[in-house]
Amino acid sequence: MDKNVVVPPSNMGRARGGPVEKPKNMKGTLYRLWQLTKGHRKGLGKILLLSGLASGSAVLSPYMIGRIVNLIDEGEPMLRLLGVLTALYAGDWFIRFSQQFLMASVGQRMILHIRISLFEHMKKLPLSFFDARQHGELMSRLTNDVDNISTTISDSMTQLLTYVFNILGIFIVMVCMSPVLTAVAMLAVLCIFILTKIVTRRTRVLFRRQQQLLGRLNGQVEESISGFNMVKAFNREEDMLRQFSQSNDAFCQVATRAQIWSGFLMPLTNVINNLNYVLIAIVSGVMASDGVITVGDISSFLLYSRQFTRPFVDIANIYNNFQTAVAGAERILEILDEETEPADRPDALPLEKIKGEVRFDGVSFGYRKDRMILDNVSLDIRAGTRVAVVGPTGAGKTTLINLLTRFYDVNKGRILLDGHDLRDYHMKDLRDAFGVVLQDTALFGVSIRENISYGRENIALEDVVKAAKAAGADSFIRKLPKGYDTVLSQGGAELSQGQRQLLTIARAVLSNSPIMILDEATSSVDTVTEHHIRRAILKLTEGRTSFIIAHRLSTIRDSDLIILICDGRIAEKGSHEELMKQNGQYAEMYRIQMGMKG
Amino acid sequence: MKLMLRYIKRHTGMFFTAILFLTVETFADLLQPTFMSFIVDRGVKDQAPAAIYKYGLIMIGIALTGAFCAVMRNIYASRTSQQISREIRYDLYAKVQSLSFENIDRLNPPAIITRITNDVTQIQNFVNGIMRIMMKAPITCVGAVILIILQTPALFPLMLVILCVAGILIGCNMKFGYPRFGRMQRKLDKLNATSREFLSAVRVVKAFRAEEQEQQKFETASGEFAEAGIASMRVLAVFAPLINLTVNLGIVIMLFVSSHQPPDEIGKLMASVNYMTQVLFALGMVSNILNSAVRAVASSERVEEILQEEPAQRVEGSPETNRKKDYEIHGDIVFDNVSFAYANASRPAIERLSFHAGEGATVGIIGTTGSGKSTLVNLVPRFYDAPEGRVLIDGRDVTRIPVKALRDSIAVVPQKALLFTGTIAENLRWGDENASEKEIKEAAALACADSFIDTFAEGYDTVLGQGGVNLSGGQKQRLSIARAMLRKPKILILDDSTSALDAATEAKVLQGIRQAAQHMTVLLVSQRISTVMNADVILCMEDGVARGFGTHEELLGDCEPYRAIYASQIGEESSDRMKGGVEHG
Repeated sequence: MDKNVVVPPSNMGRARGGPVEKPKNMKGTLYRLWQLTKGHRKGLGKILLLSGLASGSAVLSPYMIGRIVNLIDEGEPMLRLLGVLTALYAGDWFIRFSQQFLMASVGQRMILHIRISLFEHMKKLPLSFFDARQHGELMSRLTNDVDNISTTISDSMTQLLTYVFNILGIFIVMVCMSPVLTAVAMLAVLCIFILTKIVTRRTRVLFRRQQQLLGRLNGQVEESISGFNMVKAFNREEDMLRQFSQSNDAFCQVATRAQIWSGFLMPLTNVINNLNYVLIAIVSGVMASDGVITVGDISSFLLYSRQFTRPFVDIANIYNNFQTAVAGAERILEILDEETEPADRPDALPLEKIKGEVRFDGVSFGYRKDRMILDNVSLDIRAGTRVAVVGPTGAGKTTLINLLTRFYDVNKGRILLDGHDLRDYHMKDLRDAFGVVLQDTALFGVSIRENISYGRENIALEDVVKAAKAAGADSFIRKLPKGYDTVLSQGGAELSQGQRQLLTIARAVLSNSPIMILDEATSSVDTVTEHHIRRAILKLTEGRTSFIIAHRLSTIRDSDLIILICDGRIAEKGSHEELMKQNGQYAEMYRIQMGMKG
Repeated sequence: MKLMLRYIKRHTGMFFTAILFLTVETFADLLQPTFMSFIVDRGVKDQAPAAIYKYGLIMIGIALTGAFCAVMRNIYASRTSQQISREIRYDLYAKVQSLSFENIDRLNPPAIITRITNDVTQIQNFVNGIMRIMMKAPITCVGAVILIILQTPALFPLMLVILCVAGILIGCNMKFGYPRFGRMQRKLDKLNATSREFLSAVRVVKAFRAEEQEQQKFETASGEFAEAGIASMRVLAVFAPLINLTVNLGIVIMLFVSSHQPPDEIGKLMASVNYMTQVLFALGMVSNILNSAVRAVASSERVEEILQEEPAQRVEGSPETNRKKDYEIHGDIVFDNVSFAYANASRPAIERLSFHAGEGATVGIIGTTGSGKSTLVNLVPRFYDAPEGRVLIDGRDVTRIPVKALRDSIAVVPQKALLFTGTIAENLRWGDENASEKEIKEAAALACADSFIDTFAEGYDTVLGQGGVNLSGGQKQRLSIARAMLRKPKILILDDSTSALDAATEAKVLQGIRQAAQHMTVLLVSQRISTVMNADVILCMEDGVARGFGTHEELLGDCEPYRAIYASQIGEESSDRMKGGVEHG
C-alpha cells in the first residue's frame, strides 16, 4: 500500500494548524542539510537572488501605482511612470519565470543526489539494520522524506526569504510614507498573531486525537481485509461492521471539531484584514482630506495592507512545513549515521581455492545482548562434509547460517574457514564462497533467466538451463508461456511457493560456490518435488561442504553429519544411524515425524 | 464526480446553506473596495469627514457580516464534508464485507485499504474545499469583474480579454501539465517498486553480492523520476507567471485608459485596481482547484469501482431453506463432478472431482503443492462457488443453503493463522461468542495453547496487536486451532494448519483434535503422510485431479502418486526400520 501520490502543487489540502512534527535538533540538522547541498549551492544562490528581486518588484509596484494615481488625480501626464510600471511587471514576470524554472531542476537534482547517496549508504548497512525496521518505513525515507528535504531547502526557504524581504521592504516604504498608517497596519498583524496562537493551541489537541482515531480506523480496515477469510468463515461481518462503524463515528466527530477549529483561522484572519482595510480607509481618508497624505498614498497603502498581512498568515504555515521537513531530514540523517558493514581489514586475505573446512570456536551470539541464541558452540567440520542442522523452531538453526555468511558477526568466539577467522577475509570473496537458498524466496520483477543468474553478469542461457535442470525447475519453466524469458512480477506471485523455491535453488546451483547453504529450502515444496530436489542437492553437495537446515527429518537422513541444536547448544551430533542408536531426542523426533509411536 | 454528487445530495440543505454563507461572505469582501471608493470620491475629494465615517461604519458592518457568514460557513462546510466522508467510508466498508473472495482477489486487498483510507480523505478534502475556496474563487472572479464593469463600463472589453487570456493560459497549463504529472506518478510507482524489491530481498542481494546491480536499478528509477519531476515543474514555471503578467498588464492598461477619466472619480480607479488584485488572487486559486479536482475525481472513481462491484456470489439460500429458522447441518459432504478455476488462471485448480465424506468421517487430503487441496476445501464454506458440478452437504447443494447457517456449522483453520486486535479470549470467542471461561481454557488446552498463554502476565486477557504480531507463527496456529475447536462445528477444515508446529507438538495437537472431533466431519489437508495416514479415508490429489481415495493401506496398494509421496517421506528402506522402531518402542 503506497501512500505516496504525486500531486500537482496545491495548498488547499493541508489544514491550517494541523499536527506538526517537531525536529529534535533544528540547528544541527540544518547545518548537516547545508552540507548535503554541496554541488547545488550555486543554483540555490541564484534562486535566492531571484527571490530577492521578486520581492523588490512586489514592494515597488503598489508604490508606483500610488504615484500614478496621484498624477491622474492632478490631471498630469503619467505615461513615463506607466512605462516604468510596465517594465516593472515585465521584469517581475521574467524573474518569476526564471526562478521557478531554475528551481525545478535544482530542486529535483538535489533530491536525486540525496536519494542516491541515501541508497548507496543503505545498501552497505548490515542486515541487523533491515531486520529491525519495517520496509514501509524505510521506503518512506527513500521517497517522502527525501522529497520533503528538497521542499524545505528550495521551496520553504525561498518562500520564507521572499516573505521576509516583502515584509521588510513594505514596512520601510510604509514608514516612509506614513508612520501613523503603518501603525494601523501593524495592529492587524498583532491581532492575527494572537488569534493564531489561540486557535492552534486548541487544534493541536484535537489533531492529535484525530490522528490516533485515524490510526485505529486504518488498523481495523487493514485487519479485516487481510483476515477476510476468517471474517467470512466465522460469520463476523456484522460484528466487524459494528466495530468499524463505532470507530468511524468517533473519528468523524473529532475530525469535524478539528476541522471547524482550524477552519476558523482563515476567515477570521480575513475579517481582521477587512477591518484593517476599513481602518486604513477611514484614517487615510481623514488624513488625506486634511492634506497630510495624497490620494495616491491611500491607494498604495490599501494595496500594501493586503500584501503586508498575508505573509504573516502564511509564515506560520510555512514554518510548520519547514519543521516537518526538518524532522524528515533527521530521519534520513539517522540512516546516514548508521554504521555500515565493517570494512575489510587492511591486511584482509583473499579467498581462493576454498577447501571448505569450517570450525566454530566457542561461538556465542544473540540478536539482543541480553538474549543469547547460540551459547558457546564449538564444532569441527571437515571439508566436503554434508552437515544437516535440525532442532526445534527458534533453537538457532538460521542464526548459524547468518553467522557463516557474516550477515551478523559473532559476539564471542570465532568462526574459522580453512583455518582463518571469517573476519580476516574480504567480505566479497567470503560471500562468493557461499551458495545460499534462503527461507524467504526472494524473486525479482525480471525474467526467470535473469532471476536464476541474479548477481552475475553474462551468463549463457545454456548454463542457466543446466542449473534449472539440476534443480528440477526446468520442466515447469518450459511450460510457462515465454519459458525462460517469462518476466515475473515482484516476488514471483504467479508461481507457487514450491516453484519459487526451485528457482532459488537453481540460483544457488548456478553460483557453483564451494560451500552450499540450504535453509529450510524444501519446506514448502511438496514431497514429490522435494524428492527430486533432494537428489539434485545430493549431486550439488557432492564433494562440497554443505549445510542443510530442514524441518523434515526425512530430507536429511543421508547427511554425513547431523547436528541437533537445542536452546542454543549442540545437543546431539552424529550420523542418522548413530543418532538413532543413541535413542535420544533426535530419535524421538524422527519417530514422531515418521508416524511411529515412540 | 457522480459519486460526490450522490452523497452531497443527501445533505443538500447543509451543503447549500454553506454555499449561501460562502456567497455572502465573498460579497462582503468584494464590496469593501467599492465603499472605499466612496470614501475617496465623496469624503476625501469633497472634504467631508462625515461621509468618511459614514462609509467607514458601513464597511465595518459589512466586514462583521462577512465574519459571521465565514464562521457559519466553516461550521456547515466542516460538518457536511465530514459526514459525507463518514458515510462513504461506512458504505465502502459495508460493501467490502458483503463481497466474496473472488471480488476481493480481483480488487486486490492493499488497493482496497488505500481506497477506504486515502481516497476517502481525498474526497473529503475536495468536498470541504468546494464549500470553502472553490466556490469562492469563481464568485470573487466574476463578482470583481462585474463590479469593475459597473463602475467603469468602458473597461468591459479589457476585462473580457484578460479573462479569456487567463482562461487559455490555465487551460494550457492543464493540457501540458497533467500528462507530465501522470508520468511523474508512474515513475514514482516504479521507484517505490524498486526500493521495495531491494528491501524485501536484501538477504539475497547481500548473499549474491548484487549491491551494485541494485544501486544501478535504483539510480535509473530515481533518475527517471527526477526527470519527470523537472518536466512537470517546468510547465508550471511557464504558465503561472504568465497569468500574473496578464493581470498586471491589465492594471497598466486600466491606468492608461483612466488617464482620460474625470479626476473626481479617482476612487473608482483605485477600487478597480484593488479588484484586479483580487481577480489575480482568485485566478491563482482556480489552478489549484482544478488540480485537486483531478485528484478527487480519480479518487472517487476508485471508490466507485468498489461500490459498484457486484458480489460474485448469491449469499441467500433457496426460499424453502430460508424459511426454516435454524437450518441444521449434519456434515455429510459430497463433491459431485466439481471443477473450479481461479480468475486469471490458465488451468483449472480442480477438475471433475467427486468424492464422499460421510457424517463424522475424517478425510485426509494429501497432494503436491498446487494440486488443488486448499481450493477444494475452500468450496465447502463457499469461499468460492464452483461453476461446474455440485458440492452437496446433507444432500443439498451448498449454494441453496443460507450462507450464515452454513458457515456457522463449519470451522476453518487456515494455513496462515489470522488473529485480530483484541485479547486472546476475545479472539477465541470468535468461535463461540457465549463460550464460558472454562470452555475457552479447554479449547486452548486441546490446541496446546494453554502452556504459552499461561506464561503471559495477562493470560487470556493479553492484548494481541494487529494480526497477532506479538505472537510467533506456531503460537498463532495453535490459537487459530483453539478458536475453531471452540465453535464445536459439524465440519472442521484443517488446511495444513499445523505447519509451523514442531513434530512433537503437532502430534499432541492432532491427537487432541481427533478426540474432540469424533462427531465432526473433518477435512484434514496436509503435505505430510504422517499427518493424514490415520484418517478414515484419504484423498490423494495431483494437478487438480483425484488420483486415489481410500485408506492408507489401500492407497499404498494401488495409488501410484501416494506411494511416491510415501516413499519420498518415509522411504522404502525405512519402512522396515519403522516397523522395527515400533517394536522397540
